[in-house]
Amino acid sequence: MDFIIGLIFWGLSALILFSGLMVVIVKNIIHAALWLIASFAGIAAFYFLLEAPYIGVVQILVYTGAISILMLFAIMLTRQVTGEGTQQLFKRWWVAALVAFGLFAVVIVPTIWFPRLPVAERGQPTYWPQSDRAAASATPAAAPAAQQEPQPEAETPQIAGAFEIGRSFMAEYLLPFEVSSLLLLVALIGAVVIAYEERTRRRRILTLAEEAELRRSVAGLGMERPLQASAQLPPGKSEAGTAERR
Amino acid sequence: MRAMWEFFFGVGWLATLTSYLTITTAILVAGSLVMMLLTWIERRGLGYMQDRKGPNRVGPFGLFQPIAEAIKTITKEDITPTDADRWVHFLAPVVILASTVAAFAVIPWGNLIPVDINVGVLYIVAVSAVHTVGILMAGWASNNKFALLGGMRGVAQAISYEIPQVLSLVSIVMLVGSMSVVDVIQNQMDPYGNILSWHIFTPVGLLSFIVFWIASLAEGERPPFDNPEAESELVAGYMTEYGGMKFAVLFLANYLTNFAICAVTAGVFLGGGNGPGSDIPILGTLLSVFYFLAKSLGLFFVMVWIRGVVPRLRIDELMHFAWKFLLPLALVNIFSTSLWIAIIRWGAEQGMGIAEALGAPGSIARIAVAWVVTAIINVVAFFLVARLNATRGVTTYQATPTAV
Repeated sequence: MDFIIGLIFWGLSALILFSGLMVVIVKNIIHAALWLIASFAGIAAFYFLLEAPYIGVVQILVYTGAISILMLFAIMLTRQVTGEGTQQLFKRWWVAALVAFGLFAVVIVPTIWFPRLPVAERGQPTYWPQSDRAAASATPAAAPAAQQEPQPEAETPQIAGAFEIGRSFMAEYLLPFEVSSLLLLVALIGAVVIAYEERTRRRRILTLAEEAELRRSVAGLGMERPLQASAQLPPGKSEAGTAERR
Repeated sequence: MRAMWEFFFGVGWLATLTSYLTITTAILVAGSLVMMLLTWIERRGLGYMQDRKGPNRVGPFGLFQPIAEAIKTITKEDITPTDADRWVHFLAPVVILASTVAAFAVIPWGNLIPVDINVGVLYIVAVSAVHTVGILMAGWASNNKFALLGGMRGVAQAISYEIPQVLSLVSIVMLVGSMSVVDVIQNQMDPYGNILSWHIFTPVGLLSFIVFWIASLAEGERPPFDNPEAESELVAGYMTEYGGMKFAVLFLANYLTNFAICAVTAGVFLGGGNGPGSDIPILGTLLSVFYFLAKSLGLFFVMVWIRGVVPRLRIDELMHFAWKFLLPLALVNIFSTSLWIAIIRWGAEQGMGIAEALGAPGSIARIAVAWVVTAIINVVAFFLVARLNATRGVTTYQATPTAV
């Protein structure tokens, strides 16, 4: 079993790193976005491998399914998609490389040097130092010493299950949760306002039937009338559009 | 299963791997066979509804027609347009089929459960949402205006209808208290085989079923929501530039999606493989598979029926229907679900002292009150939303008399 997990782990790592690299290397932006989706999917598989299916599913739902579509739409709205003539390496590329490696080091060095980070506080089970607790529970003699900290209810403490996440959202981290929801609401209202202004300013596009009717009225009534006719055409549909037409 | 393979190999990890592979193969083969049956049901059923015969030449009642067609599509030439994006064009059907098949990992066939993960319901929705990426890939890589339009339509539709779909499942998850598909089915199990314990027979579950079913029809691009491949406008939408085996793969994914929708609906709302005698040791498993297939195929027949009856919606009507009709209904349903739970299960310590007067949690009086309250809320909400949509929403264009 460990062999399979190792195999899957290294395969996934290779996939994620390779597709991450391709995101930067590939010239066509759409291809870059597709490679990014592949790496998102690989990370979701990682979460499943770590027995955190909830986070894995949310990763698929949000990143692989939704954000990637958003990115693809945004790219399709830009002008140059294929990017044949673009220059990919700039003169001071080493500065960017330095910054990237520095940031990576900030993440990786503490992970390697101090593996026992206090992940959770206040009597909650710390997730990382699994080996200590496993050893403590395995040998009954050492158990009383380890009893100092409150024992978790389950054998393997889950910090990533749907239940735990929901509980901590609704109790411990209620304020950040609500603040972030407020932020999203503000963004939503802003989008509505912008879209609404755009729509009222824009000339309304007639449907085929309306256009045919307009043409018929032009043919039947001469050159003066159609403006009036068009003002009465859409029954209460969009006053703004007809006003502008006038 | 694992024990059997361990006996053969003597190695633990190989046995585990082989047992999973066996299950996967069984699911894939059964899925393909069911897909063949579905195409036959669809064509014969439509033929019956439109007063014609449908395929009836190959085999008895035309049952072997799908096999003949599979042979035909396999032997066809595989064409990629010259200006297409070759790799993306090739990968799009793969992505669509993979995302569809992945959903089958957690769908129980009666008592046969492939995998039971504790977020199964969310997993199904999430994984089948990935097929929008495949649709966009297919539409874009074909380098064809019809294909791109179809792809864009498909994505817009899938993203919009995902929201009422998930929200309608939220109320069921609240009722059950778990996101595992197996728990959802177990929750509808009644020791006396009483079908009234199915979710669909509660006011909350019924509204949830309506919203989920309609939203799923749109997710699976079934008529009347088949705008992405509207053949009278867009040739075949994002499938325009696909032929031969690639088209067959897209077709297979389409029907597998439909079957997954039917299976999930049967499991979540109609009790899955539950039925009289489904808890007998060995015979019960066969019976439960039979019940499951009967419910799923019955639901598929309803799909065909809807296709035969309802004309296709215009794209703006489609969007308005999702955002202005289904979404408010799903939200109201979440509200009445929480009322249902509060009245049936809660007592004074959760702040529901009024419910104590009705008797113990789960008593008949409480259930009756919960029934009446949620039924009133849901019915009123349904007619209110329908009426608001009829008067205020943008409805169909009405030809006005020519202005003089």
